[in-house]
Amino acid sequence: MIDTATLEGFIRILFVAVIISAAYIISTRNVLSLVSVYSLQSLTLAGIAFSLWLMEANPVLLAIAAITLATKVLIIPYFIATVQERIRIKRDIEFHYVSPTTSLLLSMVLMLVIYFVFSRIIPASSGKQGLLFFGAVIGISLMLMGMMVTFSRKRAITKVMGYLSMENGVLVFGMFVTELPFIIEFLIIIDLIILVLLTTILAVGIDSTLEEYHNRLHRFYLWGETEDVS
Amino acid sequence: MILIAFAVATLAAIAVIAFCHTNRQMNAVSIAQGFFFAAISGATIAEVPLPVSSFLVGSQYFFIDHLGMYEILITVVIFTFAAIYAGGYVESLIATGELERGSLKLFYGAWSLLLLVIVLAFSSDNLALFWIFAELTTIISAMLIAVLSAKENIDAAIKYIFIASTAMLFSFVGFIFLFETSRSVFGTGSLNWTVLMQQAPLFPPGMMITAFTLVFIGFAAKSGIFPFHTWLPEAHAKAPSAVSAVLSGVLLNVGIYAIIRMAALVHQTSAMAFASPLLLIFGILTVGIAAFSMLPQKNLKKLIAFSSIENMGIMLIGLAIGTPIAIFWVIFHIMAHAFTKASLFFSAGILHRQYHGTFSGDAPDEIHDVFRFQPLAAWGIIIAGLAIIGMPPSPVFFSKLFILFQLGTVSLWSLFTVMVLLFVAAGAFGYFVIASFTKVSSPESHADARQYRTPAGMIIPVVVLIALVVILGIFFPSGETTFISQIVTELRF
Repeated sequence: MIDTATLEGFIRILFVAVIISAAYIISTRNVLSLVSVYSLQSLTLAGIAFSLWLMEANPVLLAIAAITLATKVLIIPYFIATVQERIRIKRDIEFHYVSPTTSLLLSMVLMLVIYFVFSRIIPASSGKQGLLFFGAVIGISLMLMGMMVTFSRKRAITKVMGYLSMENGVLVFGMFVTELPFIIEFLIIIDLIILVLLTTILAVGIDSTLEEYHNRLHRFYLWGETEDVS
Repeated sequence: MILIAFAVATLAAIAVIAFCHTNRQMNAVSIAQGFFFAAISGATIAEVPLPVSSFLVGSQYFFIDHLGMYEILITVVIFTFAAIYAGGYVESLIATGELERGSLKLFYGAWSLLLLVIVLAFSSDNLALFWIFAELTTIISAMLIAVLSAKENIDAAIKYIFIASTAMLFSFVGFIFLFETSRSVFGTGSLNWTVLMQQAPLFPPGMMITAFTLVFIGFAAKSGIFPFHTWLPEAHAKAPSAVSAVLSGVLLNVGIYAIIRMAALVHQTSAMAFASPLLLIFGILTVGIAAFSMLPQKNLKKLIAFSSIENMGIMLIGLAIGTPIAIFWVIFHIMAHAFTKASLFFSAGILHRQYHGTFSGDAPDEIHDVFRFQPLAAWGIIIAGLAIIGMPPSPVFFSKLFILFQLGTVSLWSLFTVMVLLFVAAGAFGYFVIASFTKVSSPESHADARQYRTPAGMIIPVVVLIALVVILGIFFPSGETTFISQIVTELRF
């Protein structure tokens, strides 16, 4: 059995990895690597959940690690990458309000603000309590950084990535602040999958002209099952 | 048991739709589903004392109390009428090529599913479960908006999904806060609203403020409260009119419903001193933004959509006052607004079919000779329009009047502001109707214009709903009054 101090150190390292991945998602222009970075971020989350399980032996955490691994590391990124390949978007260089540099600076400021706000609500002390505190801060920061991606990008498919990384933030927050019943985590994942399915299909439409869109949908059988012309 | 009946009926409806081939058949299934839901809810009210115990509902996560039942009834009535209306409307959409025949199954399937998900949301006791159903309503209704083959519809749907879902994640964090509060005070955490209502008086106000604010962000976006209202006009204006009626009359209620439930929890603690001003400020801002956006509006459906935003603001103001009388009229206003708004969108839909060549989501309407082509729809807009701006004796008049009375006891300045804003909104509506309905072109210029033959299925919902609105305004049956009072008691206001 690994001792608690090592695990805590390990989780702290994973926290850093999560933040780096979030910063990359905010600043990159390359859509293809966006998906793999999201996948890595989710893997980090699964790692955090697993380490927490080793510390607390709460079976819900193991279940969260497993379901994160299955859906967010494998299924969702695979699906998005497939769709992306079909619509051939390689780069997203259009930004709405803020450029990547500004949003990076903004997210640093946000993290500081969240840190100070939380240090008033939750008493920060060392050990387990300190870890909880950092988990909450990282979770909310990740969420707000994801929100910035959602609102600063033009392409629908990049917006989806922003939303997904927001949801990762909620997961981190939930894991560290409280112990939610597993059924709720499970239902959220289902909600997430439906949302991703729908928005990526719609994104195919928005990032191309209408005729192309219909042709593509028919060609790839995304609309296929409803194509029962009477 | 009750909810299982709802779910089984929906699954059966979707299964039948999958085997149908024509619009008429699928539409008949949707109408049948609506009537079946109405029958079950009617039987529940008649036979089972509310709140329904968990055995009958089927699980500890669900319950049906008076507020839930009330919302379910409104939902079912509007869905049934909208389904009847959709028959003719969708037929016409297919005829003009705005809707592809291949998307029919998707449309009716999503329609059935949406009804089920909304009913389940209103009967969820567990707030996290409610959150998930509310999130599903966003996704499914976005599907109904995007079903038309126009790029602007996809745009509107994507905007709707991203604004609503992003904000809803904040709500979820709020629920996590609530759960943690309950866990730290009572040992075992719960998100069941009935349990939380028992525990709420002991919750620390600081945590309640955080939880309430976060939950408010999400459901404000869902119900089109400023500053998250930007998705609403586009989504409501571009959706097929049958869907617009549902979006406005039912889906906005989901957001307000959650805010009411949450306010009832906060009302038990001293945190209400913080929540009240928050609700009041956002309520007044919402009414203001809506009123001034209505003023230059040249598009009928967008005008009606902004009027929905205004009414949501009124509900927030009533909720902020927090007295039993104010809450009573907020609850009443939900029903009054839903029925009036549905009849407005139905009438606007008939005009949309008449003038669809020029009547796109963004362009200004080119309504002319309206009494010659569509007298019924024109009168529908006029009567329902008078009702929605609060002319006596419409039901909206009474709810607005009493909410304003109550507001006067809190702050005269806000009463004054809101009244001015309401006049602006009413003036904007009146101006639009007078300006566009009096346009008469010379007889030879519309010699080639064809009159759209409105099928009976589209006329009946307009007529019946307007009759219902008038009846609601004139008669206050004692059953209705006791039912709403019961809701207020259960919310412990």
